[in-house]
Amino acid sequence: MVIIANIGKYFFLMTQVFSRPVNRRIFFKRLLQEIEQIGLNSIWIVAIVSIFMGAVLTLQVAINFENPLIPRYLIGLSARDTMILEFSSTIICLILAGKVGSNIASEIGTMKITEQIDALEIMGVNPANYLILPKILAALFSFPFLNLMSIILGIVGGLLIAIFTDVVSVFNYIYGLRYLFVPFYVTYSLIKICFFAVIITSISSFYGYYTEGGALEVGKSSTKAVVYSIIMILLFNLILTQLLLT
Amino acid sequence: MIEVVNVNKLFGENHVLKNINTSFEPGKVSMIIGRSGSGKTVLLKCIVGLLIPDSGEIYFDKREFTKSNIKFKTQIRQELGMVFQGGALFTSSTVEENVRFPLDLFTNWSKSEKQKRVDFCLERVGIKNANKLYPTEISGGMQKRVAIARAMVLNPKYLCCDEPNSGLDPQTAILIDRLISEITKEYNITTIVNTHDMNSVMEIADSINFIYQGNNWWQGTKDDIFNTDNKELNDFVFASELCKKIKKETT
Repeated sequence: MVIIANIGKYFFLMTQVFSRPVNRRIFFKRLLQEIEQIGLNSIWIVAIVSIFMGAVLTLQVAINFENPLIPRYLIGLSARDTMILEFSSTIICLILAGKVGSNIASEIGTMKITEQIDALEIMGVNPANYLILPKILAALFSFPFLNLMSIILGIVGGLLIAIFTDVVSVFNYIYGLRYLFVPFYVTYSLIKICFFAVIITSISSFYGYYTEGGALEVGKSSTKAVVYSIIMILLFNLILTQLLLT
Repeated sequence: MIEVVNVNKLFGENHVLKNINTSFEPGKVSMIIGRSGSGKTVLLKCIVGLLIPDSGEIYFDKREFTKSNIKFKTQIRQELGMVFQGGALFTSSTVEENVRFPLDLFTNWSKSEKQKRVDFCLERVGIKNANKLYPTEISGGMQKRVAIARAMVLNPKYLCCDEPNSGLDPQTAILIDRLISEITKEYNITTIVNTHDMNSVMEIADSINFIYQGNNWWQGTKDDIFNTDNKELNDFVFASELCKKIKKETT
C-alpha cells in the first residue's frame, strides 16, 4: 500500500513540477545554476571513472583474449561497445545517482525541514516547479554530454593502455574501435541516459520534497533517493534494452 | 481584515481545530497564544493556506481564500508576508538576495528600484553592512530581522509571524516584537503573531486569542488577562511563580 501511495504522490508532485514557471527570467537563471551544479560539477568524477574503467576494461579483455584464434582487434571493439552500450550510460548514471541524487534529496529535504519550501509557497511560488523543474531540465541537458564525454574518455583510457603496455598494439586497438561500428548504439546510449536523468532528478527530488522531521530524516531521504534511483535505473535499463535493441 | 469562520481541521481521528471563529483587524497586532500542541500553529497554517481546513472559511478583506483557485490564492499571497519560526531564509542566497527575491518574482522594477527598496527594508529593520552576508553568517536575531524585511518588501496588507522571537534572548526578542508592532501601525497591516511568550503578549498585543485544545477558548486584550477568571487561561499565563507574583501585585 505504501508503494502505491508513494507512486501516487510521485505523479501528483510531477503534475506540479511540469507547470508554467512564475517568472521566466528567474527560471533560466535557476536552470543555469543547476546545469553548473548537476552537469559541470560532475565532469571530474565522470572523467576520472571513465578513463580508469576504459583502461581496466581493455586490460581485462586483453588478458582474457589470449587465445590466438581470437583477433586482437576485438579488444578495441569490446572496449568501445562496452563503453557505449553499458558503462557510459548505466554505470555512469549509477555513480551520478549517488553524487547528484543524494545532493538533490538533501538540498530539498533541508529546505523542507527549515520551512524554506513553505516560505516559497507563501510568497505565491509553486515550490515544486521552482525547485525541481530546473533540476530535471538541467540533468536532461547535461547528462547526454557527460555520456558522450565518458564514451570518448573510456576509449582514450583503453588507448593509453595500448600505448603504454604491450597487451594490444595501437593499430589493432584503433582497428577494433572502427570495426563493425553501429551508430545506433550511441543513440541507444543517449536515449537511456535521458531516461536516467529524469529518474535520478525526479526520484531524488520526490524524496527530498516529502521529508518530514529533522536532520536524521534528511539523511534517510537521501539514502532512499539513491537506492530507489538505482533500482529504477536498473529496471529501465532492462526495459529500454529490450525495446531498443531486440 | 482577516476573518476565520467555523474552521475545523482534523488529522485522522485527531480534531485539532474545533469550529474556530475569530477576526483580526488591520493596524493591530493580534496574538494567538496557547500551549504547545494546542493547535495555534495549525490555525496559522490554515490562515496562510499551508494547510487546508476540513471545513470553514477564511476571508481576506471579504475575499474567500480557502476554496479559491490557485491563481486567486497566488494573488492574495502576494499581499501576505510571513515570518517563520526559524526565519526560513534561503541559505544559498545572501541577505540582500533573500529580501529582493519577492521583487524579482513579482515586479518589473528596474535593478536600481529594487535595490532602493531592499536597502530601505533592511534599514527599516535595523540591518546594516550585512547585505552581502549569507544567513548562516549572521545571528539569530538578525535572521529574524531579515525575514521581517523580506516579508514587508512587497508592502503586504497582512503579516503572519510564527513564534518570531523563539530562540532569542529577551532583549533581542523585545526588539523584534517592537519592530513588528511598529511596522503594523506604520503601514496599517493586519498582523497575526503566534506565540507562547507572555513577554511578547504584554509588550505588543492589541488583541489576544487563547487556543485551548483546539478551541478558541478566550478572546480579549492584554488588560483583560489580569481580570479574567478563566481557569485554563490563568493556568497558562500565570504558570511561573514570577507571573503569579505580578498578577497578585497588579490585582
